[in-house]
Amino acid sequence: MITRYALIAAMVLSGGAAWAESHASESEVDAPQVAELTAEDVDMDAAGKIFQRSCRGCHGNKAQGAASYPKLSDKEPQYLADMLARYRDGERIGPNSILMIQNAKDLSDEDITNLSV
Amino acid sequence: MAAAQSGMNTTSLQAEAVLEGLENPWDMALLDDGTMQFTEKCKGLSVRMPDGTVNALYGVGETEGYPANGSDLFCEGQAGMMGVAFDPDFADNRRIYVYSTSNMSDPHTNRLMRFTLNEDFTEVSDRTDIVDDVPYKMEASDHPFGGPGAHNGGRVRFGPDGALWLTTGDNHNEEIPQSPTMMGSKVLRMDTDGNAHPDNNPPEGFDQRTYTYGHRNVQGLAFHPETGAAITAEHGPWHSDEITVLENGGNAGWDPRDNMAGRGDCPDGYCGYMPNQNEGMNRYERASFMPMTDFETYPDAMPPVWENNGWSQGTSSAAFLEGEQWGDWENAMVVGIMGIGFGGTPIGQRIDVIEFTEDGTEVLDVTEMTLPMEPGRFRSVVLGPEGSLYTAIDEGTIYKLTPGGS
Repeated sequence: MITRYALIAAMVLSGGAAWAESHASESEVDAPQVAELTAEDVDMDAAGKIFQRSCRGCHGNKAQGAASYPKLSDKEPQYLADMLARYRDGERIGPNSILMIQNAKDLSDEDITNLSV
Repeated sequence: MAAAQSGMNTTSLQAEAVLEGLENPWDMALLDDGTMQFTEKCKGLSVRMPDGTVNALYGVGETEGYPANGSDLFCEGQAGMMGVAFDPDFADNRRIYVYSTSNMSDPHTNRLMRFTLNEDFTEVSDRTDIVDDVPYKMEASDHPFGGPGAHNGGRVRFGPDGALWLTTGDNHNEEIPQSPTMMGSKVLRMDTDGNAHPDNNPPEGFDQRTYTYGHRNVQGLAFHPETGAAITAEHGPWHSDEITVLENGGNAGWDPRDNMAGRGDCPDGYCGYMPNQNEGMNRYERASFMPMTDFETYPDAMPPVWENNGWSQGTSSAAFLEGEQWGDWENAMVVGIMGIGFGGTPIGQRIDVIEFTEDGTEVLDVTEMTLPMEPGRFRSVVLGPEGSLYTAIDEGTIYKLTPGGS
């Protein structure tokens, strides 16, 4: 179901990682292109379910970051999509990568887009 | 009584957000009038006064906004400023205790510092590092959560005997848990100068500050209100969070060395997350390969009284519910669980209520607290002076949970 939530969709995020944002620009992973999308175009319900199941336990209920898990709510959608795609491919980026690789490995391009916007 | 009856009804807890917008609050300690010290892992130590004002006291490194800073203190990964306690004689001696990671030594260490807090609760002075040798993980290693700063333990509590207790962790270092002299993976019992308690009874050759050893990463420590026994809550690897009733001199049985106990080589010599450390697998198979408590190698190891159904979900802190307002839960232990999402493990963010048998040696029942607010990463649970339960979540809020009401 496509929903039209007014909130900033970037709150509803899996994954990502805060260290070295420059990493994102170095990536050659084929990440879904999400920068042009808005919350109106994506399935927020689906993203919310994934977020509740896989993301909030570490990154916090508002993706505000917690403990050694980075804040996601201030990241750009394309950065998040890129990072999720890299984790999905099994790339290690930082000490908590194993958690992210496991959580990202079964995400579809659509999931990543939904989560990242 | 009405209060007791409503305390029995787990849906009638009330939650008040006492402090919000904090940065990784790690621990609290309260005085009888509600004055609350609290730490933020990368920021520092502050105190919330009964009228709600907050005074910053001692900053980590160069953190701004504190009247004094420990330039040697720093945070990295799981490390930073952690446990905090008031001296039982605080009214007379104004002493407080804070545990933090420090770069004063090389390799760096975790230190337990003692301060004097002034009458206005606005400044600390007389820093004395009464423990300066709890090991710190300097380098990254090939393990889950393998960055520097892993597994520091960190809870600081006074026991009913008036002794000062400190819990520590294994640093992802295979030698530390069973080491007689490295003070990680231990529960220390000391006086307020950091000297060993005279009744500690570790094996021969051990540092006499050792009350128990062979732990993984103890973040929960509480004392049974009737028996006085020290009880730990401990975060398991990919399996088996544990609660253990400690025995003086006891071995908790964690020994992650490779090439022993049926294991071959392990990444960087530490088998703590093996086998198959990077992927999900049956937790009981894991436990059999790398047990939290290895009874085969250490038949006299202290047996856990609770293993979280074999899961590892980030068990962190522990406290006892005291006072009749808690109804059937009076004298039960609560355990804060931070949650983790990995390999099919349910996230499990919650506060569990652990009821012990009358003699306090076994778990009778476990109930999940029905929370009146959204769950979070429950890093700390502390009983307040008026019998409410305070809990800090990593997301930045300290709640006060009070039984009763509508």
